[in-house]
Amino acid sequence: MKKAIALVLTVFLVTALVQSVAGTARAAAKPYTFGLLLVGPYNDRGYSQAHYEGGQYVEKTVPGARMIYIDKVNPADRPGITIPQLVDDMVEKGARLVIANSDDMKDGIREAARQHPDIHFVHVSGDDVLTGKAPKNLVNTFGRMEYGKMMAGFVAALTTRTGKIGYLGPLINEETRRLAGSAYLGARYAWEKVLKKNPKDLTFQVTWIGFWFNIPGVTADPTQVAQNFYNTGFDVVISGIDTTEAVTVAKQKAKEGKQAWAIPYDYVGACEGGSSVCLGVPYFNWGPGYSGLVKKSMTGPWKSEWTWLGPDWQDINNHRTTNVGFMEGDALAPGVKKELKTFIRDLGSKKVQLFKGPLRYQDGTVFLREGEVATDKQVWYMPKLLEGMQGAGSAK
Amino acid sequence: MNVELIDIHKHFGSVRANSGIDLKILPGTIHGILGENGAGKSTLMKVLAGFIPKTRGTILLDGSEVGYSSPEGALRHGIGMLYQDPLDFPPLSVLENFMAGQVRGATMGTEVHRARLLELCTGLGFKLDPDVPAGRLTVGERQQLELARLLSSGARVLILDEPTTGISGLQKEVLFSALKSIARGGRSIVLVSHKLEDIEALCDEITVLREGIVTGTMERPFSTQALLSMMFGSEPSPAIRSGHEPGAQALYLDNVSAPGGRAGLAECTVHVSRGEVIGLAGLEGSGQEVFLRIAAGLIRPHRGRVHVGRRDMTGRGYHAFQSLGVAFQPASRLEEGLIRGLTVTEHCALGEGGGQFMVQWDTAEQDARDKIRKFQVAGTPDSPVESLSGGNQQRLLLAFLPEEPELLLLENPTRGLDLESVHWVWDHLDAHASRGAAIVFSSSELDEILMVADRVLVFFDGHIIKDERPEDTDALALGRAIAGKM
Amino acid sequence: MALETALTLTVVLGFTTLVLLLAGAPPLESYRQIVKGSLGSWGKVTHVIKVWIPLTLAACGLLYTFRIGLWNIGVEGQVMVGAVLTTYVLRTGSDGQHGQYLLAAALLAGMAGGALWAVMAGYLKTRGGVHEIFAGLGLNFVAQGLVLWLIFGPWKQPGIASMSGTETFAEHLWMPYLEGLRISPAALGMTLTSVVLTAYMLRATRFGLYLKAIGSNEKAAFLFGLRPQATMILAMVCAGGFAGLAGSFQVAGVYHRLIPAISSGYGYLALLVVMLSGFSVWVSPLVAFFFACLNVGSIQLPMVLQLDSSLSGVIQGTLVMAALAMHAMRARSRKGGGPDAGG
Repeated sequence: MKKAIALVLTVFLVTALVQSVAGTARAAAKPYTFGLLLVGPYNDRGYSQAHYEGGQYVEKTVPGARMIYIDKVNPADRPGITIPQLVDDMVEKGARLVIANSDDMKDGIREAARQHPDIHFVHVSGDDVLTGKAPKNLVNTFGRMEYGKMMAGFVAALTTRTGKIGYLGPLINEETRRLAGSAYLGARYAWEKVLKKNPKDLTFQVTWIGFWFNIPGVTADPTQVAQNFYNTGFDVVISGIDTTEAVTVAKQKAKEGKQAWAIPYDYVGACEGGSSVCLGVPYFNWGPGYSGLVKKSMTGPWKSEWTWLGPDWQDINNHRTTNVGFMEGDALAPGVKKELKTFIRDLGSKKVQLFKGPLRYQDGTVFLREGEVATDKQVWYMPKLLEGMQGAGSAK
Repeated sequence: MNVELIDIHKHFGSVRANSGIDLKILPGTIHGILGENGAGKSTLMKVLAGFIPKTRGTILLDGSEVGYSSPEGALRHGIGMLYQDPLDFPPLSVLENFMAGQVRGATMGTEVHRARLLELCTGLGFKLDPDVPAGRLTVGERQQLELARLLSSGARVLILDEPTTGISGLQKEVLFSALKSIARGGRSIVLVSHKLEDIEALCDEITVLREGIVTGTMERPFSTQALLSMMFGSEPSPAIRSGHEPGAQALYLDNVSAPGGRAGLAECTVHVSRGEVIGLAGLEGSGQEVFLRIAAGLIRPHRGRVHVGRRDMTGRGYHAFQSLGVAFQPASRLEEGLIRGLTVTEHCALGEGGGQFMVQWDTAEQDARDKIRKFQVAGTPDSPVESLSGGNQQRLLLAFLPEEPELLLLENPTRGLDLESVHWVWDHLDAHASRGAAIVFSSSELDEILMVADRVLVFFDGHIIKDERPEDTDALALGRAIAGKM
Repeated sequence: MALETALTLTVVLGFTTLVLLLAGAPPLESYRQIVKGSLGSWGKVTHVIKVWIPLTLAACGLLYTFRIGLWNIGVEGQVMVGAVLTTYVLRTGSDGQHGQYLLAAALLAGMAGGALWAVMAGYLKTRGGVHEIFAGLGLNFVAQGLVLWLIFGPWKQPGIASMSGTETFAEHLWMPYLEGLRISPAALGMTLTSVVLTAYMLRATRFGLYLKAIGSNEKAAFLFGLRPQATMILAMVCAGGFAGLAGSFQVAGVYHRLIPAISSGYGYLALLVVMLSGFSVWVSPLVAFFFACLNVGSIQLPMVLQLDSSLSGVIQGTLVMAALAMHAMRARSRKGGGPDAGG
C-alpha cells in the first residue's frame, strides 16, 4: 500500500548515494578551506558584510585559501538550524578552520570545537579563552572597536546643536556596554576639552532594541527607536546595531527639514547612500586579522589564545594593515575633521587616554580611581554604564 | 425531445448499480421509473443528468449521440434534474436563487427575471414570493422554485427524483397538475418514485427496475398487481395493525413550551402509555420535531415539565434520558443517525458498553454480522454506512436501537422506504410495542399512521390540534386538520 | 492514500522547480545539493533526525485532533509552552545532582505544559464557543510573548539583556548523546514509541474510535451516547502533550536553553505534514522525514550555490501553497462520484 512512498524515498536515497560518491571523486587539487558563519545577511552593509569582505580579502591575499560561508545564522532566520550542524557541514566540505562571527554563537561554536578537536576554530567577540571554557582548538579574537566608537562619540559631540546624542544599542552585554561607554567617553572629551562646555549639559541616551538587528516581533523596531530620538530633540544618533536604520531615518528627517545626523556601525561602506547625514562610520577591517589567522592555521602551531586587534595608528583607514578604522562621512564639517585628526593622533600616541580615572559608573560607584588606567580586562568586562550616560546599564 | 438510453452500465467498484438498461422517453409524456430502494433508479437518473459518469452505454437525444460530464453540460442539452434535496442557497432570496446559474454578465436586469419568475409561477399554479429568503420555504416550495428555474434555463427533459417525499398533500396536488401542464406543453418528464399510487396517478408509461436491470414496462391502463410483481418479484403482504392495550405511564409532557423548528412547540400536554404506538402528523416544522426532541432530552423546554416513566426529567440531558431506556432516531439518516466514514462494525463497536479501554473488534464484528443478518441489511461488516442504500441505512439504524427500549422516539422512520421495507420495519417495531415499549413516531404518510398507530396527534403551527384514535377518524379528516381546518 | 501523498509530493516538487527556475537557480543542481546536504552522510542524517523528532511528535499529536475534526493551529504555542516548562524545571538543577531525574521531570513538565495550553484552546472552543483556529492563533501569540518576556526578563543571562536566549544549561542536563552521532537515543526512542502508541490508540482503543466517530459526525455520535465535548478536550490533551514533548526535546536535546524561536515553526510545519500524509499515522513520519530533509538540505543552497538565502523561505511558502492546493483538490474529488443513498 505504501509502495509509492517507498519508491519516492528510494529514488531520493539512491540519488543521494550516487551524488556523494560522485562528489568525493571530483575533489582534486586541495585548497585550504576556511568556513565563515555570519549572523546576518552577507550583504547587510553592516557587521556581517564586513566579515564577508574580510573573508574575500583572505581569498585574494593568501594563496590557496578558499572561503565557504553561510549567512543569516540565527534561529529566527533559520529555524531549527544549529551551529554544530553547520560546522559539521563545513568540515565535510573540507573546512580546516571555522570562524563564527557573533557573540550569539558562543555556546554552539564551543560545542562544535569540542566535537572536532582537529579543526581550528575562531570565535569573534567571544571570551571563552579568558573564562577558561575554551577547548584547545578555539581562539578568540576581536577588534578594538573602542577607538572607533570614541571617534564616533567625538564627532557626534562636535556636531550636535541640541547637545543630545542618542545611542541605538543592540542587546545589553559586556561588549555593548563597553562600546556605548567608549562612544560616551569620546563625546564627553570633545564636549569638555574641545568645546569647553560643562559635561552636565551633554545628554547621552542609550536605548537597546534587544538584538544585533531587527527581528520583527522579537526586538524593538530600530526604525521606531531612531524616530523617537529625532522626534524628542536628539539630532545625532550613533548606531550600535549591525544594520543602517539610523542613517535611513536621519535622511528622512533631513528631508523633512530637520537637522539630523547619524553614525552607523561596523562596515566601511555603511555611509553610502546617506552622505548628506552621515558623519562617518567606525568599522571593522577583518582582512588583515583574518589572513593572520588563516596563515597561522595553515602553518601552525595553533593554540588557544585571546587576541584584541587594534587600529594601525599610522593610517587607521589603510585596509591592508588596520583592524579597526573610522571612515569620515560627507556630512562631517571641515572644522570637525581637523579636530578629529588631532584626536586620532593623540589617541595613537596615548596622549589622550579615555579609560583613565577618575571614572564612575552610572550608579555612582567607582570604576577607576584618579590616574588609574583601565586594563584590557577591565575594559572588556565593563559591568555597568558610565556616569553621565542615560539608559539601562544592565539587565536587572 | 426524444431521449433514448441504450445499454447503460454503471459500476461502483464491484457494485453494479445499473447493468445494461435500455429506456426510451417520448416527448410530451410523463414517464415513471419504479423500483424498490437500491434498484438503481437514482443512479440511472444521475447518469442521465450528468451528475455521475456512466461506465458504459449510449445516450441518444433526438437520435444523435451526446456526451457530457456535468449537470451544466446536461442542462445545455436540455436535461435538468430536480434532486431529492433541492440544491439552493438558503440565505438568498427566491428571486436570487431563480437567477443563479442563469445570469451571464451584469446586463440582465433583476426585473426581467422577476417578471419571468412570476409568469412561470402563474402558469404552473405556484405561489412564490420572490423576495423571501429561500431558507424560509418549505420543501415543496423549494421544489417549485427549482422547477421554475430549470424550465427557465431551457430544460426540455425534467427528471424528478422522489418529488413527493416530504411535501404536503396540497403541494403534491399542485405539483402534479403543474407536471401535467408541462408535459402538455411538449416537454418530457421522468418521475422516479417507489410510490405506486403517485406513479399510477401521473404517468403515461412506467418502466420498472429491479437490481439494476429493467424488469418490465407498461402503458396505461396499469395493473397494480403486475407492477408489484415486476418490482418485488412477488407481492408483499399487508401489515396488521397492532392494537396494543395501553399500560402504565411511559411519557408525560406537562404544559411544555419550547422554541425550535419553524413554529416551536406551545403549551403541549401529552400522556403516553407503555405499549402505545403514537403517530405524529402535520406539515414539516409544525412542532413534531420539537416534540420528539423534548421527549428525548435533546431540547430543554423553557416552560413545563417532562416526565419519563414516573420520573421528572426536566432539565436533564439526552444521555440521562438514554439511561432510562429512551431511544431517539432522527429523520436525516446520514446527517444525524449514522456516521459517514465509519463501517457497520465500527458502529457496532460504538454501541458496545463502555468501560473497556480497548475496542473488542472480534465482538463488534460478530455483532455486525448478527445485525446484518437479523435486519436483512444488504452489506458487509466492513461496508462504510454511506455505501448502503437508503433502505439499508434505515434498517441499520433500527438495528442500533437498544435491545429493550422503554420509549422509542422515531422521526419519519420509513421515509424513502419501499412498501415491503415499511412492512418489515413495522413488524420489527411492533415486537417492541408488544413487549411494552411506547413508540412515538412522526410521518408524512397519513396511510402509514392510520395503518400502525394506536393514537394520532396532529400538529399545526406548534400546537396539537387533534388527538384521536385512528378508528375514529380518516385520512380526509386528518388532512383537513393538518391544513389547520377543524 | 499513499499514492495520493506521492502525487502531492510530486506536485510540490514541480512547484518548487518552477520557483527555482524563476529565481534563476539551476533546479537539478539545487535538488542534488538538497539531497546531498540531507542524506549525503551519516552526520547529515543525524541532523535530519534531529529535525524529524519534534516534527513527528507534533504530527502525532495533531493526528488526535484532526481525527476528531479539530484544527489545532495552537500546536505551535503548545510546543513553546512545553519548552518553557522544561526550561523552568532544568533551571532548578545547577548543582549537578540527579541529572537524569531532573531531565525526566522536565520532559513530563513539558508534556503537561503543552497539554495545559491545548486544554485552554479546548475550553475556549467547547465552553466559550471560540473556534479552535482563532483560540489557537491567539494562544500562539500569548505563548510567543511569554517566551520573549521570560528570555528578556526573569530568565535573562546575568547582566545581559539579549534576545539570543537564556543561559545554556550545565552539560549534565543535556539529553545524553550517542558518541559521535548527535542524536539523543532517548528522544529518538520516545518519538518512535509515540508513533506506534498513536497508531495503537487510534486503531485499537475505544478512545480512538470515539475520536473518529465524533470527527465524522458529531451529532450522530452524540445520539450514540458519546460525549463530544469531553472527548475533544481529551484529544487536545493528547495533542498538547505530544507537542509539549517536542518543545522539551528542543530545549533539553537541541538548544540546551530557551531561545525565542524555540518552536522553529515545527508546529505549523507539522500541520502541513499531517495534511499531506492524508491524516495517516504511518505516512506522517515519512512526510515529516521528507520535510526534515528539505529543512536540513536547503541550507546548501546559500552555502554552495550562493543563492540568496531568502529563496529557501520562498520554497517553503511554495510548499505550503502546493500542499493546500492538493488538499483542496483531493477534498473535491472525494465529494464527487460514489454510490448514492437513494435507490
